[in-house]
Amino acid sequence: MRRLLCAAIVVAAGVAAAQNLPWKANVAASGVSSVEQSKAEAVHYLFPEQVSVAAGKDAVIDLHFKVNEGMHINSHTPRDKYLIATRLIVAEMPGMKIGPVEFPAGSEYALAAMPSDKLSVYTGEFVVHAHIQATAGQHMFEGALRYQACDTNSCYPPREAPIAVDVIAK
Amino acid sequence: MEAVKGRLQVKRNILVICMVAAALGLMVWAGVTNYRQRRAADAKLKQFQAMIAESAPQAPGTGADATDINENPLQGKMAPAFTLKDTTGHKISLSDFKGKAVVVDFWATWCAPCKIEIPWLEQFHNQYAGQGLEILGISEDDLDPDDKAKLAEEKKDIADKAAQLKINYPVLIDDADVSTPYGGVDGLPTTFFINRDGKVVASTVGLAPRDEIEADIKKALGSGGQS
Repeated sequence: MRRLLCAAIVVAAGVAAAQNLPWKANVAASGVSSVEQSKAEAVHYLFPEQVSVAAGKDAVIDLHFKVNEGMHINSHTPRDKYLIATRLIVAEMPGMKIGPVEFPAGSEYALAAMPSDKLSVYTGEFVVHAHIQATAGQHMFEGALRYQACDTNSCYPPREAPIAVDVIAK
Repeated sequence: MEAVKGRLQVKRNILVICMVAAALGLMVWAGVTNYRQRRAADAKLKQFQAMIAESAPQAPGTGADATDINENPLQGKMAPAFTLKDTTGHKISLSDFKGKAVVVDFWATWCAPCKIEIPWLEQFHNQYAGQGLEILGISEDDLDPDDKAKLAEEKKDIADKAAQLKINYPVLIDDADVSTPYGGVDGLPTTFFINRDGKVVASTVGLAPRDEIEADIKKALGSGGQS
């Protein structure tokens, strides 16, 4: 009987967790606003949320980002001086030095109407390597990725994707 | 003693059965609620899709964005007034063009689709100027008003880019947040077509097909009284 009770409670909990909770239901039902939001915020920080590094030594944090499907952002080294480069903005924090930041090379992209005008862009997932050196203890690596996104028909003003990584230096 | 134990066992069993029944009841309720929510969401989505299909039939080759999918709130209303300086420092107001049809095109130097639309606007400017068409390009490039040297450089960049694109109509620098009364322009290019009475008769967000832009220009030229 106890087993039956436990099984029933576990299943009930699972069903409740799989429910369309109110805030999830709103996102699913409001097609327009989610599309608009995805255009406005074309890039999202994925991970890590926490890293452990050796105290006082050079370390690298691999910051993973994702560009929404159907959109692209300029790479760190766009080919036209008028285009806005993707860059990392990090606040200086006591106990942690931020060293060089390495961006991946962009991939070639051209609008269908201007096939010869090649752009250097990031699409999908990409990783930025940030060099740091931290004193022993816990630190917060806080910053933002500044980017300017476009899709095939529109370009959107520059925006920032926030980043927060808990750095534990031992 | 045995009888008391037996009664306790029966009570415990009844309690367990009640809890199982409650858990099963919860599962059924959760399932029904979930099903209803999904049906409601599906119905809403279908209704929305039908609304899009009715309000925005797509021309062949039209991008999904380049559109009037949602009618602009300014449609049929007076275009918000503005006065801005052009790249040469001259003040230009929308009211300077009373009696003319005006295309207000929000663009930026970093906007690649704008580079496709602008040459079309240049051609339409040549073609329809005689009929009373004026085009105003409003640059939405970021400006740094607190840093004079940087601001001058940014304005020069806009002027250089306009020259590079051979823009043959006034290019205004939006240092007064003119885009806000126009709905907080986000996607670029965003273009408003204003008739001779000063009313917005059409608008497009994103790169619209050339034919659609020309049709909107004709609409702006044709409506309202001739000056």
